[in-house]
Order: sequence, then C-alpha cells, then structure tokens
Amino acid sequence: MNIRLTFTIIVTKILVFALRLLKSGGTTLPGKVARKLYPDIIKVISRDYKIIMVTGTNGKTTTTRIIGEILKVNNLKYISNKSGANLFGGIVTTFIDSVDLRGRAKAPIALIEVDEAAFNVVTDYIEPDVLVVTNFFRDQLDRYGELYSTLNSVKSGIGKCQKTKLVLNADDSLCASLGKDSGKEVVYYGFAKEAYSSAEKLVNSDAMFCIFCKTKYDYENHVYGHLGTFVCSSCGYCRPQSRVTCEKVLELNTSHSNVLFSIISKESELENKTLQAKINLPGLYNIYNALAATACATALELSSDNLVEALENFECGFGRMETISTEGKTIKVILVKNPTGFNQVLNFLMTEDKNMQVAFLINDRLADGTDISWLWDVDFEILEDAQERIDNFYVSGIRAEDMAVRLKYAGIDCSKIHIVKNYEELLAKGLSNTETGHNFYILPTYTAMLDIRKLLRKKFGLKEFWK
Amino acid sequence: MYELNICHLYPDLLNLYGDRGNIIAIARRSQWRGIKVNISDISIGDEFDAEKYDIIFLGGGQDFEQEVIQDDVLNKKGNEIRNAIENDKIFLAICGGYQLLGNYYKTWDGKEIEFLRALDLWTIGSKKRMIGNFCFECDFLKTDSFDGRVVGFENHSGRTYLGPSVRPLGKIVKGYGNNGEDGFEGAIYKNVYCSYSHGSLLPKNPHLTDYLITLALKQKYKDFDSLEKLNDEFEELARKTMIQRIVG
Repeated sequence: MNIRLTFTIIVTKILVFALRLLKSGGTTLPGKVARKLYPDIIKVISRDYKIIMVTGTNGKTTTTRIIGEILKVNNLKYISNKSGANLFGGIVTTFIDSVDLRGRAKAPIALIEVDEAAFNVVTDYIEPDVLVVTNFFRDQLDRYGELYSTLNSVKSGIGKCQKTKLVLNADDSLCASLGKDSGKEVVYYGFAKEAYSSAEKLVNSDAMFCIFCKTKYDYENHVYGHLGTFVCSSCGYCRPQSRVTCEKVLELNTSHSNVLFSIISKESELENKTLQAKINLPGLYNIYNALAATACATALELSSDNLVEALENFECGFGRMETISTEGKTIKVILVKNPTGFNQVLNFLMTEDKNMQVAFLINDRLADGTDISWLWDVDFEILEDAQERIDNFYVSGIRAEDMAVRLKYAGIDCSKIHIVKNYEELLAKGLSNTETGHNFYILPTYTAMLDIRKLLRKKFGLKEFWK
Repeated sequence: MYELNICHLYPDLLNLYGDRGNIIAIARRSQWRGIKVNISDISIGDEFDAEKYDIIFLGGGQDFEQEVIQDDVLNKKGNEIRNAIENDKIFLAICGGYQLLGNYYKTWDGKEIEFLRALDLWTIGSKKRMIGNFCFECDFLKTDSFDGRVVGFENHSGRTYLGPSVRPLGKIVKGYGNNGEDGFEGAIYKNVYCSYSHGSLLPKNPHLTDYLITLALKQKYKDFDSLEKLNDEFEELARKTMIQRIVG
C-alpha cells in the first residue's frame, strides 16, 4: 500500500466533503492541494480508467453531458466533472473524489470536460483514449491570446498522445485541421451539404482563410459561424468526409429539433445506418453537440441502437437553458460567453412567438473574459426588428452600462432598456412584467450565471450544481 | 441632406475585439442626426480609391490575418493609402491597424516586418502583453463641460514609439498606452487618428466620435457648422463608471 497516496486521497476527500458542507461547491481547491502533496497523483489514479475527454471553445459541457447520457443507456458506469470544473485542479479533484482510499477506480470510464487552454497541461499527465473536439470560435481572447494560439495549444497536447482516437468537427476548418496528417484514427462529424442552409450571412467569421495556404475558402454550404462545407481552391484542403452526419434538419423550434442522422460505424464499412432522432434541446449548435456525442459513441464502438433514446432523454443543465416555472410563468437561463454562442441564442429568441422579457447579465471577471469588446461582434442588430416582441430589455452585471450602450447602438428604443444592477430587483421586475404562460429569458455570462443561480436556488430551489 | 461615405478596410480580416463597433457608432450617431451614411467594405483584391470616402477605418487582426493581408496592403493599396493620408484624408486606425500605418514591426526575437511607412512610428514586439481597461486624456477633446477623458480596453504586446512628425492622441491616466514607458497613448498625424483602444473605442466615447464626424463634415461641406447634441446618458454612464472604477 502506498501510504503517501492514501494520505493524499484522505486529505483531499475530507476537503471536498468540508467544502460541500460549506455549500461552496469545492470543485477546484482540493485538486490543487492534492498536487502539492503528491505531484504525480493524477497519473497514478487515472491509469485504470478508459478516458474520454471533451474540449473546444463552445458546447463542451452539453456534449459531455450527452455522451454521459449515451453511456448511461448503454449501462456503462462513468465518473465525470459535471460541474464545469474543467481546469487541471478541478479534474484532479474529480478523479480523487472517485477512487477508493488505495487509489482504485470505482467505474471503468472517466468522462472529462477539459478547458481548451488547460488541455495541453492535462496531457502532460493523462492521455485520453478518445478526444472529442467541438469547435474553435473566438472566446475570451484576452485570456488565451488568440484563437490560433488556442488551436496550436490543443494540437501540441494531441501531439503528446500515442493511442488517442480523435473525434473532430468536419465542418470547422480549424478543428478538422487537427486530424490532417495526425497519423491518428479520426471520426469526423458534420452536416451534409443538403442538411440545412443558413440564412445568416458569412461575415466577421473566425476562419475565412485557409489555415494552410491563406487563400479564401469557398463554401458549398454554410451552417453558422465559419461552420460548413469549406474548400480551399488553392491547396485543396477541404471538409473531410464525415462518419457521423446530419443528413437533414427536419424540424427546429424553441424546445427541440428533429434530425436525420447517418452513421458509418466502422471505417471499412460502406453502408451507413440512418436514424431519425429528436434532440431534446433547441438550436443548431445543439445538433452539433449531439453529432459530436454520437461520433464519440462511434469511436468507442458502442452500438447505435439506443442512441435515439439517449438523445431524447437528455436534459439541460447548469445554465444551458435551465428552466424554472413559477406562478404560470417561466424563467429560462441561457449562458452566453462568446459571439458565436450569443448569436445562436439570439437566433433562438427570434423563434419565440410570444411576447417576452429579456435580461442580459454581463460581468467581466477573469472567467468571463475581462475584455467585453466581443459584445460588439454579437449581432444584436437582429433584435431591432423584433422589438415589438420583447417588452423590456434589462441589463445587469458589472458591465450593465456597456450592455445598455450596445443595445442602444443596435437600434433598440432606449425607453425599453433598463439598467437594474440588483439581481433581486431584476427578478422581481422581470417576473412581474412577464405575462402568464410567457417566458422571461436571462442571459448571463459565466460568473453572472453563478450569482443568479445562487439567487434562483434560494428562491425557487434550483438544484445544487455538483449533484 | 449631408452624406458620409465610410470605408471599412479589410472588415473580414481586421476585425478583432469588436472593432466594428466603431463603424456602428459613426453610422448611428450620424443617422440619429439625419446624416446619410454609406459603408463600403474593401478587402483583399478589391479596388481602393480613397477619394470616394470621407472616413477610412482600419481595425486590428490576429497575426494569422495580418499575414494574409500583408501583400495586398503593402503592394496593392499602399501608395493609395499614403497619398490619401498626405492629402488630409480622415483615418481611424486601431491596434494592429495602427501599427500597420507605421514603418515596421520588429518581433521580440529580432525579425523585422515591413509596414506601410505612412506615419513615422514603429513598433517593437515584447513578450509581455499589455492588457486591461485603460483611460487617457485628449487635449483636443477638452471643453468647459468635458474632461477629455477617453476609456477603452488595450491588449497588445507591441510597444509603439512615435517619430518627431507624429504627436500622441492622448496622455495616459491609467494603463499602458503606446509602450508602457512614456505615458502616452495613440497617435495623430494630419487627419489620421490611431489608438490601441478596443472596447469598442467610439461607442462609449461619443465626444471622440462626434469629433471625427464633425471633421469629416467640415472637410466635405463648406456650410457645415456643428452637430446637434444627442442624449448620451448611457454612453456617459458607461464611460464614467469605468473611469470611477480604474482611476477612482
């Protein structure tokens, strides 16, 4: 028995327990302490697990949770860092929390969401069996430098892995480039050309020019952001063939979507299997998350038989369209953190046919990104013509005034814009102005979400996020 | 009716950190006063005739995108840009666009990248990034009722130095500015205004926006006198909240 290992595990477990008693979540600190006591602890306690990692800029949490649902319907037990503690410390905590006192695994699989900037550090200690990469959109550039640095950092992490299978977004030229010449098995996922055509213009995009030769891409089809069937006419780099494909979006509304999927379960197989599935989440971006999760299941060689069940069962969590009903009115909380994600949420709001109240909670703490310039890359202008359906625009959070300016310059009538800094007051005002049977949308950045959730938990008993 | 033609240079490539907010601000504040605005996007391979425009905007880009435009901007549009600047054309350039108008950029490991040489200034790369909310004071904006203070967000590793023919845009109140050493931010040469400020710069600094619009209208219309006042309650709140927070 390794005394030092057992000692470290005991100390860490006590810390986790104590922090939970204090209701502070306690998802990161214990891991930090453990690494001080036993620097290599993560290597030792992770070696018995089959490890799935999910990284990328958008959709990590949802994709991870859908994969979890797929594992569940396949009766596979797994551990996961559910609460979005996706930096190295939080990942260490998750593992320690899940092993017995001798450091032995309690489940065969570890499903780990990894922050895209932390991935390169994590791979110094743990090598995933399957790595799912969702996409690369601009996100908190002040924290990570530039999008291409983030991409290169993930690439460098992948370079350290020997056995890892990659699951990559074929429609994202940046993400798909990770598979090119990697020498690794790759399961690509994406939209067929005919699946969906965007009305959104291809502008202000994160990746318009070929990553290999800097020529402007041609798009045979464009889904959103820079996602689509891209091809470089100069060097020939193009969207790779996908093994998990959305063949057709049959229905897309405020609560779910209905899609046709095709799956080529083994590379050698010529025939593909087609499934119709209801994805129990709204928005195109969630179809991508479902595709990524399905491709992960394909990489794990799981049967596709109960996939449909998993996708239909899936429920949102932790600020990804969490819903609270009170007195016949509904509060919906949707996390916003970068232009592409925000645009998707605004497009989703456009599909709402009843009058609504909308609140924007904008903070600029480290985890939100200290630079809020990105609000000017969000296409709030689409709200200008939908003003009659939005009764009130509430702005709150540390940068409420900046958000008010942004809405004003998007063409919103200033008499509809209200700066309400106090969250209690915000909730009261928003709810009282919401008609029965209608929705009050709250769109917070990350740390604003933590704060508003705390209040919602107190008032309406929203469940604790680490459960 | 007055009319302004705005040119957004390389909007698909130099579009970092919401710099397009500056175009939105110029357009809205003109439209609110009944001034017609036309915006032209000019990118790689497009014909660029500076005479067609009243204000030309150049934003910042990531290294990758700056490399993509390098040939086009230096060899295809370079002469036109330099001539336009000498002929008093109004420019607003932010961050990477600001550096691009200068002589060169020397990377921290000594590699020299040739730039436009339209303004006598140069940039030296460093390993340390200068990041954060910042505030600077512009003398040309000061009036009896306005303190001349402009707020924004800077994020650059290049340190920029000005030659004798170029003067700074403002004096740093809080933050780094051009190089973190001499206490100045940005540059002015003829009618070219340069800054490291994202944020976006113009929306919450309406005095600066109106200054540029006024400059353009005066240049174009002999009979133009001054802009009518607008209600800037939100803009002023945003600006003052930030000044209160970082300057105290």
